[in-house]
Amino acid sequence: MSHASPRPMESSASSDTTPALLELEHVTKRFGGLPAVDDLSFAVREGEVLGIIGPNGAGKSTVIGLIGGAIAPTSGSVRFAGRDVGRLSPHQRAHLGIARTFQITQPFVGLDVRENVIVGALFNGKGMSRAEAMRVADEVLERTHLAAKARLKGDELTVADCKRLEMARALAMQPRLLLLDEVMAGLVPSEVELAVRLIREINHSGVTVVVIEHIMKAIQGVSDRVLVMHFGRKIAEGSPQDVLSNQRVIEAYLGERYARMRRESAADTGLAPSDTMASGEGEDA
Amino acid sequence: MASKSSSEETLVKTATSARRESREWLWSLIAGVVILAVIGLVPLSGDQASLSLWTFIVMYCVLAQSWNFIGGFAGYAAFGNVVFFGIGAYAVALVMQANGSFWMGLLAGVVVAALFALLLGLPVLRLRGHYFAIATLGVAEAVGQFIQSKNVGATAGEISLTPPNLSYQLTNTLFFYGFLALSLLTLVATVWLSRSRFGYALVAIRENERAAESLGIATYWYKVGAFVLSAAPTAIAGGLFAYWQLSFDPTGEGGAFDVNISVAMVLMTFLGGAGTILGPILGAIIIEYLSQYTAIAYPGIHGPLLGALIILVTIFLPQGLIRVVKELVRSPAGVKQSYQTRFREGVRRVARFTASNGI
Repeated sequence: MSHASPRPMESSASSDTTPALLELEHVTKRFGGLPAVDDLSFAVREGEVLGIIGPNGAGKSTVIGLIGGAIAPTSGSVRFAGRDVGRLSPHQRAHLGIARTFQITQPFVGLDVRENVIVGALFNGKGMSRAEAMRVADEVLERTHLAAKARLKGDELTVADCKRLEMARALAMQPRLLLLDEVMAGLVPSEVELAVRLIREINHSGVTVVVIEHIMKAIQGVSDRVLVMHFGRKIAEGSPQDVLSNQRVIEAYLGERYARMRRESAADTGLAPSDTMASGEGEDA
Repeated sequence: MASKSSSEETLVKTATSARRESREWLWSLIAGVVILAVIGLVPLSGDQASLSLWTFIVMYCVLAQSWNFIGGFAGYAAFGNVVFFGIGAYAVALVMQANGSFWMGLLAGVVVAALFALLLGLPVLRLRGHYFAIATLGVAEAVGQFIQSKNVGATAGEISLTPPNLSYQLTNTLFFYGFLALSLLTLVATVWLSRSRFGYALVAIRENERAAESLGIATYWYKVGAFVLSAAPTAIAGGLFAYWQLSFDPTGEGGAFDVNISVAMVLMTFLGGAGTILGPILGAIIIEYLSQYTAIAYPGIHGPLLGALIILVTIFLPQGLIRVVKELVRSPAGVKQSYQTRFREGVRRVARFTASNGI
């Protein structure tokens, strides 16, 4: 369970001087009148892992859509590698090196796992030949522990394998920035642990990662920095320990009453009724 | 520890067998060439009625094969592909009426049909599902009606051409082989497509357009490309049809813009197997043969019989005959089985999936 402890800062963590790979400035997205994302600004430095957490409906997946290009911002700018990408289509952004996964997994159901991953490698804008793409795909399948399931069809997979396929397909694109939308949701603890390890490996191979997650435990184990969203706004940003002990974050996640109870009881005696907060124990505000 | 290493061994074995590239395309190509070669023997019989029947069959092979590019590979249910057939037919008619050669007419037909597919595709390929189907259906009807009402080529568009200066028999044989060569060419194009980057993109679009776009596929342009690719052989077939039939109408039964031709392309491709190499050829042979046979044998009820066939196909074989064959011969990866067991297992699988489709 070592992954539950905060990640040591020296491991591939980027210093403040590393240039930002991704920058969002005052980004707002309204669906109808309601803002799903409201005046959001943040930056991701090259080589780091940024975790984004927040309760249901906080606008996390909309952020992925805004970065990946599936959703156009109502206002504000999205910059990637120094270039304004706000008006580019998803496939153009994919060619620049932005890869994403989907919260509701989107496999090519009629294709087998290997073919799914080959598609990822074929269209990354690097003009790979089919043979090269197959080699890349086989390599990725090994890395993501899907090699034994290479012949299964996209609709014959378990939830965990579906999530892994999403990651494998994105990895085959050999991206600079990987956006992971709740790839650990619905997994049992051992599978979560495997996913955390995989994300770390991916990051160590030089890929910048943005992880969106519900499970705080998982995000804490993998992120260099954590950003917390609530009602489309950023309510906290910083190191995992700081953010998870932040009073506003606890209130947003568990309600004000629970936050008050926590303040009053100083001990770490299994107060957390929700598993989402389980790893927050012992870091009292 | 021993059990772990053995499980790793099987894992490596499965991985290698997955790495071995599927030869399905090669078998499909060989089977396709053999089928077309056997059909190529028909003129030897000297029977004009069966030559005419098989010319129609091969013509429908080409039409279904072409529809397969947009409808089968890209998964976009184009219900108006007859418009390219009609354009090909009228291009030949108009060029020949202006004393141009038949070949110039064919060329003009291909170019105009491809351009038309491009210009039509740009707006309609922004639509999805039913909306796309309805839009394409409407366009085909509109073009046919336009030709009729504007007297294109002749009064009410009713074309009549001078026959080539050859014997009746030789002419018919030449057109038969013309369609056959076109079908062979389309077969080769399909095999190439199924192994190309273009083909991978189309299949990805069919299976999940959203995911395809996020993986770097310029979905819109690939769809337009598939539409143009589907238009070109259809137009050539239309041109051959025009000079073979000599006289034809724009609309109505047997017309160059007859909506039944569009329906036939879709039905044949689905019966055989959409997105497969051989499916459209098999579907065209079966449906056109049955259609002509029942029209002669059971003149009163041939329509209802075909209708019943359509219902049965959509209920029990939505994935086509090729899927049935594949399920029959598929062997589970890495397991050695006798042919008998494999066949028994195959029959069981087919029974299961047809039943699950039916219920």
